[in-house]
Amino acid sequence: MSDNAFDLTRRLFLDRVVQAAALAGMAQLAPWAAASAADPIGRDRVRLGVIGTGDRGRALIQNILKTRNCAVAAICDDYAPHLDKARALLPAATPAFTDHRAMLDAGGIDAVVIATPLHVHAIQTFDALDAGLHVWCEKAMARTIADCTAMVTRSQAAGRILQIGHQRLFNPTYLNALARARAGEIGTITQVRASWHRNRDWRRAVPPGSDLERKLNWRLYRESSAGLMTELATHQIQVANWFFGALPTRVMGSGSICFWKDGREVYDHVALIFDYPGGRKLVYTSLLNNARYGCEEQIMGHKGSIEPELGRIYAETPPRVPGLQQMRRDVAKGRRRTIPIGGATWFPELPVTTPGESLGWGEYDESMLQFEAFAEAVKTGTPAPGLLREAYHASVASLLGESAMDAGQPISWPSGLAFEKLEA
Amino acid sequence: MTEGHAECFVAMGTRVELHAFGPCDPQALRLARHEVERVDDALTIHRPSPTVTLNEALSVASGAAVDDPILLAALIETRVLMRMTDGLFDATVRQGAPRGAWDLDIARGRVEAEGPLAFDFGGMGKGLALDAAAASLRAGGVQSGLLSAGESSILAIGQHPLGGPWPIGVPHPFAPGTFLAELDLVDEALSVSATVDAAAPCRQPTLRSDNGAPVTAPLTAVAVAAQGARAEGLSTALLAASPEERDRLAQRHSGRMLCFRYEGRDAITLAITGELACNV
Repeated sequence: MSDNAFDLTRRLFLDRVVQAAALAGMAQLAPWAAASAADPIGRDRVRLGVIGTGDRGRALIQNILKTRNCAVAAICDDYAPHLDKARALLPAATPAFTDHRAMLDAGGIDAVVIATPLHVHAIQTFDALDAGLHVWCEKAMARTIADCTAMVTRSQAAGRILQIGHQRLFNPTYLNALARARAGEIGTITQVRASWHRNRDWRRAVPPGSDLERKLNWRLYRESSAGLMTELATHQIQVANWFFGALPTRVMGSGSICFWKDGREVYDHVALIFDYPGGRKLVYTSLLNNARYGCEEQIMGHKGSIEPELGRIYAETPPRVPGLQQMRRDVAKGRRRTIPIGGATWFPELPVTTPGESLGWGEYDESMLQFEAFAEAVKTGTPAPGLLREAYHASVASLLGESAMDAGQPISWPSGLAFEKLEA
Repeated sequence: MTEGHAECFVAMGTRVELHAFGPCDPQALRLARHEVERVDDALTIHRPSPTVTLNEALSVASGAAVDDPILLAALIETRVLMRMTDGLFDATVRQGAPRGAWDLDIARGRVEAEGPLAFDFGGMGKGLALDAAAASLRAGGVQSGLLSAGESSILAIGQHPLGGPWPIGVPHPFAPGTFLAELDLVDEALSVSATVDAAAPCRQPTLRSDNGAPVTAPLTAVAVAAQGARAEGLSTALLAASPEERDRLAQRHSGRMLCFRYEGRDAITLAITGELACNV
């Protein structure tokens, strides 16, 4: 894509974000949306040091390079092949490190971007905060709820920004969907049915004869990952929390290593129910051996449903036929004129197999926008309101789901969490 | 002032509206609704029904009995429409293969098929439902009415309550406030089939009966017939037809048919028969 085309697409995307943010109630529901679409303050770019340059880290670097207010000032990875691939994306003079502490000591950065295995998110966040830096960290936040909480409290104590990567919070389709749901278009939402189904083993190739299995396939081992819960479910739990406007009260579930019996330790098949106040429920499944139903959140109210990934909204009762309403009024007034009717009919019972309206680059735009919002927060020293709370609760819920599956019994939402007073 | 009565509800996967004018026993509308729901119950493929039972039987055997009278009537009408349209209309689904290889023994109430297939009556089911509702309303003394199943299936009973035919305008999908065509209906049904719809871009495709290929050209087909089911079958056939097939269909059928192809947002009239007041 050319730079001009990129600028045009970005403007269109930002326009949509601005439109969504301007809808009724969005100032409270997604206060970060409008701020993220505003013009950057000043010309200075926030200098970012990227820790972790694997597949995800390099995708983030590409997003950062397209922002209006960020620059990649340093990179770090302790796996040489990943570091080499990242170097190829950046100017040759960009400092590269194999230890994140060395990068922090070297200075020259305002904030770090953490895209490393889950179990080191917390310690790397702490180190960066201790170095006086701001932190943007990939979701999920950390391997334990205690570490998630500590990341919040320590960032607050340090007076530094902590922002977690949840791109759906910046997606205009999701923002629009939320505004329409809150406006009552789909009625009372009682259930969100969410799934993320893939058909691949989730493995990365390990060099023959090396001892890098647990390092490269960290998502498959419990020490470093809660598997599907922290890598996938956390996104969709955040969406459910958002649309319900509430946090779960308890979670129950069942997990199994059902298909990929290859020595992995994390479940490849999970099914959970998250209870919300008032009897509402998030019904969640994720698996790795069938992709037919893919990734979607089906948000169901008594008047309709929203499927944001497809970008569609469905009414339970099809709307009145305007031409027939006009005809009845005309007849009542003694007036006879052409009845406008005869358009093609939508068949709501049939499955929809076509994706919704394209949002240009989809995740690419949203991820870019996250960084622009992060940079503005760093410049002003003020976090984008509400973002960390959403991410924190999603991470806690995903880890709670893992615990419920392991225990084989329901687990209630814990007390003593960050933001608790705010929620109360 | 002409008294109007209405029954509006969801059936056949869409909003059904039954409007009657003049003297009308409220019970007549309720009975007409019941008729629509009976057809829906018999022909739906989205929940257990006689059609689903038939489809399940035909998925594993070459023949199956049909006990339900509504399903049998739908199968009979399907055979009639297949003959009328040289097989352009077919209510069966068979992935990637000709769909017409099935037969109906009306006397024995039995479907015989070459290989597994399934029935999906789709729009024709809506036409049958409107036919049943109209018969019920007429039996109840209704002399003027307009029935719709969604916006694509319309049936007029008698004349407009203020006199004269029912004036129907088929909206242009890309030019709000203008009509593709204006048609007068008296005791007739109108069906619209389309591959384009600005309001519903993700519609299920219409498939050709000979090779199962979806119709991809941007088209709208309009058919008027004495019965709803007949109009539905004809508009579907018109949509699936090649230009040559469309000409043959137009020459053979005595009713009114129209077909539009779109170039950009402009509608081009492809075939006209009968007397039409056309505003393209």
